Amino acid sequence: MNVFLLILHGLCAVALLGAITHQTVSAWWPARKAVGFATSFRAVQGAKFTNAIVILFLITFVLGAIIYPPYRLHGRTYLETMRMWTVNGSFELKEQFLALSLGMLPFYWHVWRHPLDEALVWARKMTAALIFFAVWFGFIAGHVVNNVRGIF
Amino acid sequence: MLSARWTPIFSAAFAIAYVIAEQNNFALFTYHPRIDEWGFLTQAPRNGPGMYWYGWLGTSFVAASIATLIAIPFVRERQVPSILGWAVPLVVMVLFVYLLRAFFFR
Repeated sequence: MNVFLLILHGLCAVALLGAITHQTVSAWWPARKAVGFATSFRAVQGAKFTNAIVILFLITFVLGAIIYPPYRLHGRTYLETMRMWTVNGSFELKEQFLALSLGMLPFYWHVWRHPLDEALVWARKMTAALIFFAVWFGFIAGHVVNNVRGIF
Repeated sequence: MLSARWTPIFSAAFAIAYVIAEQNNFALFTYHPRIDEWGFLTQAPRNGPGMYWYGWLGTSFVAASIATLIAIPFVRERQVPSILGWAVPLVVMVLFVYLLRAFFFR
């Protein structure tokens, strides 16, 4: 069951990564015309991703919280025994970054909701960037922890 | 719009409450994974490690909700600066990198 939930957690994270990356890039580097791959990637209407990002974030977060105890009992103990402090610390940072993103989620939803308020352009850019960073960091740190015995 | 008033306050209050809860281990509840038991507030580990992260989230949620409810009457006639909603979490993220630096410099 834990393996199933872990894979589901990873798949939801991938979907979340795609959505938040599209939105962040469209906020920071918008494109008017979708000509090639790169401009098409940037030309999306970022606001349309908001509800999906909120729902995916919550689902991924809850799944991560459910599979956290096995990591605490077995994964972290292994990291401590093997003195893998950087990997251990990366996971600690992951949980703090994502907890802070969770607290920011209502504000994120507010600034990205329709109709978009022109006065909140910077708030949109920054909230998307922070969640983008937290999700990407969490994904990479979680992936390394998950594969730590195979990698090191 | 009511969400323009409460969401930046909640976001900032949650970030501040979270770093305080994490640093002082103010957990609303504790989970004992080895015996699959929950306990109220911060408890000593039982038969294995104690998990406080869920409790820190709970503490932060309660503290941020209370802070927001208290603050809303004071900002009813004023614009709440939106920078609060993202700058405080950003500062707390950077603060956590500093607080957890020992993991990366051993």
